[in-house]
Amino acid sequence: MVILIQINFEEYDVAVKIKEEKDIVVARQMVKDIARRLGFSLADITKISTAVSELARNIYRYAKEGFIYVKEKKEGQNVAIEIVAYDKGPGIENINQAIMGGFTTTKGSLGLGLSGVRRLMDEFFIDSEVGIGTVVIVSKRRRSF
Amino acid sequence: MKQKVVPTIKLYDYLIVPVQIELDDTTVEAIQRQILEEIEDKQIRGIIIDVSMIDIIDSYISYTLSETAAMARMMGCHTVLCGIQPHVALTLAQMGVNIKGIHFAMDLESSIEILNSIKD
Repeated sequence: MVILIQINFEEYDVAVKIKEEKDIVVARQMVKDIARRLGFSLADITKISTAVSELARNIYRYAKEGFIYVKEKKEGQNVAIEIVAYDKGPGIENINQAIMGGFTTTKGSLGLGLSGVRRLMDEFFIDSEVGIGTVVIVSKRRRSF
Repeated sequence: MKQKVVPTIKLYDYLIVPVQIELDDTTVEAIQRQILEEIEDKQIRGIIIDVSMIDIIDSYISYTLSETAAMARMMGCHTVLCGIQPHVALTLAQMGVNIKGIHFAMDLESSIEILNSIKD
């Protein structure tokens, strides 16, 4: 994979293979459980699981097959959840257009998938090469209130 | 009668659709088909989709719900989306999802009031 970022998949706590449409639900339920266990608020649990639902659907729709990886990130007192969506699909031709929102190549879509994910999470990173694949890394910090 | 995905209740000429199952893409599309068929079979004038049990609504699910309301409108029905949970509303708004052509209500009572107040 020529993609710039190197991911050590062994660091991740859980991996879900996305191959069928049902796997979208499996991925978001799994992330929901992890976020709950890590003590995220109900609002943030919903945002994180919705973001995973969008990422998993993108894999299923465009790449047909890929993985969602999840890990807990501890930085001192701070706890965060990090999610990687990884596929060897067709890649995204125009990344800026894809994350701006309102753009879609699919019928029956709002084109809000990636832009929505970016708004729901604290950090958002995407790398994609046409013909090679796409990696999206997102994370959200746990807030105490 | 074809296989129903969700049980529905007919009240006056309204159709109440309580959604209490996890929504994946196939399920939400099947619910759409079911609603359209029931509008025709049961002479329905208003639809109430109760999503108070649903804790994740993503962009595709909201798109399909909005599309269902538009289709129902072509068949002479108004649609009310009832009982969206606060954190689901927060998430959809933050994502920038705009559900068009559909009425919103907190509960079944206000959904029925909304439908009663609409005069075609």
